[in-house]
Amino acid sequence: MMYAKTIARYLHIKPSCWASEKSQLAVLRKKTGYTFSNCKKALEMHNNDLIQAEGWLHKQAQALGWSKATKLEGRQTTQGLVAVAVDKNKGALVEVNCETDFVAKNKTFQDMAETATQACLHFTERQPHIRGPITKIGLDAEQLRQLPTKDGKSLADHLALMIGSLGENATLRRAVCFKTDSNIHLSAYAHPCGTEHNKILLGRFAGLIALKQKEQKDIDIKALGRNLCQHVVGMDPKKIGTSSDEPAKNPDDETCLIHQEYLIDNTSIVNDVLEEYGVEVIDFKRFECGENLTVGIQPLSHIETCQ
Amino acid sequence: MASFISARVIAPSLARSLKQILFSCELARIHNHARIIPCVTPKYLHKRWYATEKKVYQRVKPHCNVGTIGHVDHGKTTLTAAITKVLSDQKLAQAKKYSDIDNAPEEKARGITINVAHIEYQTETRHYGHTDCPGHADYIKNMITGTAQMDGAILVVAATDGVMPQTREHLLLAKQIGINYIVVFINKADAADKEMVELVEMEIRELMTEMGFDGDNVPVVTGSALCALEGKNPEIGAEAILKLLAEVDKYIPTPTRELDKPFLLPIEHVYSIPGRGTVVTGRLERGVLKKGAECEFVGYSKTLKSTITGIEMFHQILEQAEAGDQLGALVRGVKRDDLRRGMVMCKPGSVKSNDHVEAQVYILSKEEGGRAKPFTSFIQLQMFCRTWDCSCQVIVPDKEMVMPGEDSKLVLKMIRPMVLEQGQRFTLRDGLLTLGTGVVTNVLPHLSEHERLEITEGKKAREKRLASETGGK
Repeated sequence: MMYAKTIARYLHIKPSCWASEKSQLAVLRKKTGYTFSNCKKALEMHNNDLIQAEGWLHKQAQALGWSKATKLEGRQTTQGLVAVAVDKNKGALVEVNCETDFVAKNKTFQDMAETATQACLHFTERQPHIRGPITKIGLDAEQLRQLPTKDGKSLADHLALMIGSLGENATLRRAVCFKTDSNIHLSAYAHPCGTEHNKILLGRFAGLIALKQKEQKDIDIKALGRNLCQHVVGMDPKKIGTSSDEPAKNPDDETCLIHQEYLIDNTSIVNDVLEEYGVEVIDFKRFECGENLTVGIQPLSHIETCQ
Repeated sequence: MASFISARVIAPSLARSLKQILFSCELARIHNHARIIPCVTPKYLHKRWYATEKKVYQRVKPHCNVGTIGHVDHGKTTLTAAITKVLSDQKLAQAKKYSDIDNAPEEKARGITINVAHIEYQTETRHYGHTDCPGHADYIKNMITGTAQMDGAILVVAATDGVMPQTREHLLLAKQIGINYIVVFINKADAADKEMVELVEMEIRELMTEMGFDGDNVPVVTGSALCALEGKNPEIGAEAILKLLAEVDKYIPTPTRELDKPFLLPIEHVYSIPGRGTVVTGRLERGVLKKGAECEFVGYSKTLKSTITGIEMFHQILEQAEAGDQLGALVRGVKRDDLRRGMVMCKPGSVKSNDHVEAQVYILSKEEGGRAKPFTSFIQLQMFCRTWDCSCQVIVPDKEMVMPGEDSKLVLKMIRPMVLEQGQRFTLRDGLLTLGTGVVTNVLPHLSEHERLEITEGKKAREKRLASETGGK
């Protein structure tokens, strides 16, 4: 029916023009993926010249993204992803938010989270590592937006492009970067651990943990680090705790890492596991997507916070 | 569902007087229901309680649950508002403003927080419950708790934007919660021209075919919800909405009523009455139970056949009982000790025992009364369902752990086979805590004797076995 009508039109009214216009709109949309209204506008502006229209669209994408981003600014973003990556002695934990969890499952959004994490890792590399076992750098939304990426654009530009294509507000919320001495082992874990790409883990919860071997033992520190990090993500400890901290009366309310029941094996507590392997937890950080927190780091004496 | 409809229809007069006393603040809403319903049920039905229950079903339109899915800016809520507006002009619904369609506060009181809007309306042929949720997790929770199992959905796409990258995720969700019938509404036709609409239609058909729906035959309606709401351009406004509803009426099949299914009665108590025989009591979950019918008792790895020789309700003899009735049934030739609470009495061959199922489960967060810690595979939990409970081992297939407040796919291995079927809802508990609630999505093959023994083995033994298995290879 639909096609019959089209064919009828094709025969009667300005045949050549109609046919070419129609297929060009379809071709342009298929090729670029920009919205129909924009594709149409591009074709109208360039007298149906496909190549010019496409060039214009790509040029406009950034501007359109920005205008869309400005329009959607202020809409609540409570869903999203936490991305975490470790590269030798550097680690980065980044939260990117969006409006619905449908978008969080989308490839375009996941790519954005990856880009942001890579930019953070790159940024960490350029920071001076002053002294002590670990340098922690917290970044807030504004600082994150200014970070440059590999292709020279800022993260804010990438974000605006993504908003333009997904049509939902999105924000770069916060990030924490770790830079450590070479004898410190960094581990990352994300939950649910469905997607891993370019060594970047994505999930709704993610954690970073820094471990130091106290004595020379032949242990699988990679596996241990991962398990401990899973524990941090799952049990949400508030601090590492020292032996002077009293264990809580109800083990379920325990917030000190070393006194908590070990998630992987609930017959022992974390401290026993650390003793057994001769390992010390230097620091950890856990992000939960959408949790109510501003970027803030516990002021510990051995931490150098830049900016 | 049968009980849901019957409650909706016969309750107003009773509920009104009761609720007037209890919740005077909710009075306004109850009035609204009462205003809509009288146009289909004659007034005299309101007066009597039980005797009218059987007739009610023939008079009321069949009920069907639908929902809207789509991108946030494509006009889901506007469409919902437009539907109620257009139907209210025909006195089939109460018009809701855009701002009225909001998250229902009573949902929050249920315990599990679901961000959902429920609206009701009816067409000439059916009565609809309409669900609208903002996120994926909300639809999943909605499916698990069964607040309104969606029988079909309306996918809203704006003609100006076309298919968005996340439309793929919307269709995936529909698959996941078991929606097979989708009607597409291309919105914002007032801001687009004909060829754009046609291209959007082609695109959406292509995508739906790719996602495993019948893309070529999906009904697609074009219109503008905004025009319908504002009463402008009737050909793409009100008329398009009516066309959409006609397609929904036609394309989404009416779900089977509980009453039409083979009968099933979960046993609550078993009595032995001297001189008469064994009586089982319980609430008939579905179907119609007739005196003299053949029946089968299933559960606790047993299957017994018998005949129903008498049915009683409120100490009165009944020729036939219907779903929702609380009754006692006298059965022939079965000893009291052969039966126990937790078994079901059903039409022979209509249900089976299962001990290995796949389920979609929502794990309560600590604020909702669940546990604070995540759990991993091999945890032992108590499963409560109908009138039985059973210990089971939980396997988390696609994650390493399940966090509180999260929904997840779980595989449950029960220590003994019990009556369990696809779509059955259940609760998981651990000691004194309710851990979560779920729905069976898939029945897996029975456990072998060997696998059953493995459920009960301890952690040490399991690790040893797993180590030797991998070592052996």
